[in-house]
Amino acid sequence: MISHVDNPVLELHNLTVTYENKPAVWNVDYTIPEGNLIGIVGPNGSGKTTMLKAVMGLEKPSSGYVKVFGNDLDKVRDKVAYVPQRGSVDWDFPTSVYDAVLMGRYTKQNLFKRTSKRDREITNDCIKKVQLENFSKRQISQLSGGQQQRVFIARALAQEAELYLLDEPFAGVDAATENAIISLLQEMKAEGKTIMVVHHDLQTAPKYFDWLVMMNTRLIASGKISDVFNQELLNQTYGGRLNILTQVGELLKQTSHPIREKK
Amino acid sequence: MELIIDFFFKDPVVRWVLMAVILMCASAAIVGCFTFLRKRALVGDAISHAILPGICLAFIIAQTKNPMVLMLGAFGSGWLGLITIDFITNRTKLKTDAALGLVLSVFYGFGILLLTTIQNSGNASQSGLDKFLFGNAAAMMQSDAITFGLFSLVLIILIFILFNPLKLVTFDRNFAISRGIPVKRLELLLSVLTVFAIAIGIQAVGVVLMAALLITPASAARFWTHDLKWMIFLAAAFAVISGIMGTFISYTLPKMPTGPWIVTILSTIAIISIIFGFKKGILSKVRLRRLNKKKILRENILKCLYHLGEKAGNFDKFWSTWEILEKREMNKAQLKSGLKQLESRNLVILKGNAAKFSELGKEEGRRVTKIHRLWEIYLTKYMKMAPDHVHNDAEAMEHLITPEIEKDLEVHLKFPLIDPHDSPVPYKDLK
Repeated sequence: MISHVDNPVLELHNLTVTYENKPAVWNVDYTIPEGNLIGIVGPNGSGKTTMLKAVMGLEKPSSGYVKVFGNDLDKVRDKVAYVPQRGSVDWDFPTSVYDAVLMGRYTKQNLFKRTSKRDREITNDCIKKVQLENFSKRQISQLSGGQQQRVFIARALAQEAELYLLDEPFAGVDAATENAIISLLQEMKAEGKTIMVVHHDLQTAPKYFDWLVMMNTRLIASGKISDVFNQELLNQTYGGRLNILTQVGELLKQTSHPIREKK
Repeated sequence: MELIIDFFFKDPVVRWVLMAVILMCASAAIVGCFTFLRKRALVGDAISHAILPGICLAFIIAQTKNPMVLMLGAFGSGWLGLITIDFITNRTKLKTDAALGLVLSVFYGFGILLLTTIQNSGNASQSGLDKFLFGNAAAMMQSDAITFGLFSLVLIILIFILFNPLKLVTFDRNFAISRGIPVKRLELLLSVLTVFAIAIGIQAVGVVLMAALLITPASAARFWTHDLKWMIFLAAAFAVISGIMGTFISYTLPKMPTGPWIVTILSTIAIISIIFGFKKGILSKVRLRRLNKKKILRENILKCLYHLGEKAGNFDKFWSTWEILEKREMNKAQLKSGLKQLESRNLVILKGNAAKFSELGKEEGRRVTKIHRLWEIYLTKYMKMAPDHVHNDAEAMEHLITPEIEKDLEVHLKFPLIDPHDSPVPYKDLK
């Protein structure tokens, strides 16, 4: 069950990403409609994070390509914001909440310039949006996990993008923060933004999202939540890897065999 | 004293040398902050050792001690060391620690081999090459000093221009890439700057101890501040102080190498920072613990007074210290000091050996008692603990729970009236 849309915000075309020659994402091909809140679900190690990284150009695909707003990412980078997993950075880094959020205002063009008044205003606005205004000067290691997550989200908000990619924003976060984040995301959706979220809790998935991408190394489904959130597709997603596919993957790794014939 | 004045003001050469040492130490410390934060401290160590064969080869080929030539050699072999580390980590099954160990020992061993060969060759101009092992800033010539000083200055300026992007890349590399910032080029530049800083810095401290000049200032500074700019400033200051003092010592005792002295002084600063640092130092933690202990004592006394008042049905009564001690076991001296603290905070009124609540104290005692009982209810209800197991836990939590959590507890538990031991929960308006 894979629904395609016209004029997609994001298009993955036969995307394959390998680690040590073993595919972590295998021939994933889908399109994402604008102005939706999209969940990405799948078991641990099913390639969700790798897929997001490939979209952001952090992992190089072995084959296939990604189009964002119909373009290569490099042409539209300012329209895409990425929120990495909270655990991917060292929170002991000597910086304040304000400075961390301000980083969302840096682009290739203004790297060496001083921050403008507008940059500072936007930064403060975004800190308010995630309700951290009382923590603005606090060092980031002194925040709770939920607050750190909100710093990351504020930093992405400060980018004023159109497409947001969030990697497990609800991992290790308290219920109050989760609610605050999800209502913020819904507000953003109402403003016409597109938000993709790697998510782990199947119970809340139908409540949070309009559209669901289900994957387990390969793509299982992509479509309106009402079309894809059913027992059969969930079983396929979480019912373990395909035996033959796994075997071939291991073989690729052991033999360093190319995943595509070079033309 | 005269010696110090002589040292700083008499000899123009010394002034130049001093200026160079200040800039060299500052640049190494500033670059070192990024090395430290990127968790590449050991890479710095490996590179500084890897520099030795470069110096020796440059000397053998060019037959000169011209510092520019030697530095070129130093940079070359330092860079080769760096590339080798990256190659081993990325292309082989060996992990970073093995790669670092290999590069450090192999390059350094080869360097010592070359150095010994040169020294045994009977070449008259070779004397003094061994100063690169432990550094001897005081022996620098004026022209060398100016060259190294300028190089260091350029390094410092470059870091300042690149401050924002370097900060971003160091904190969150993936995010920086996602913003289209040329991370690879920045990292390459930072590596070049690091090798440069090391190649320059060995004049002062030598290859063996160079890593200390790179990393120790940053680690010491980290204990005093949570702000990167301040950290860099402090690291530079620590390094400069050590540099000046080290140079001064080797100036007064001409046979003394500079490096070990600089590093000794730096280490002293680091130890002081670890103990006394405001932000992460051991002492600040001890202080925090003591403050907590005092707060716990005060709140315990208030709660005890509240319990006594509850029992007597009168919160405005004076209670003698032995009555308080009978209610709650504690050290008599502790109780006295706790009561004094409470008095100075206008929470109790003391009269001889007796104490009673002030209005403020009564409110505070009620609050602590309330949190204690609310927490007991929470534990029995949500953590399925038996009523006779919850008291000790609540004893600790009552001092920790903030007004926000207190409010959440009330709402969550729907304003319960009775705790698991049938004592009433004292709300403010429900006295």
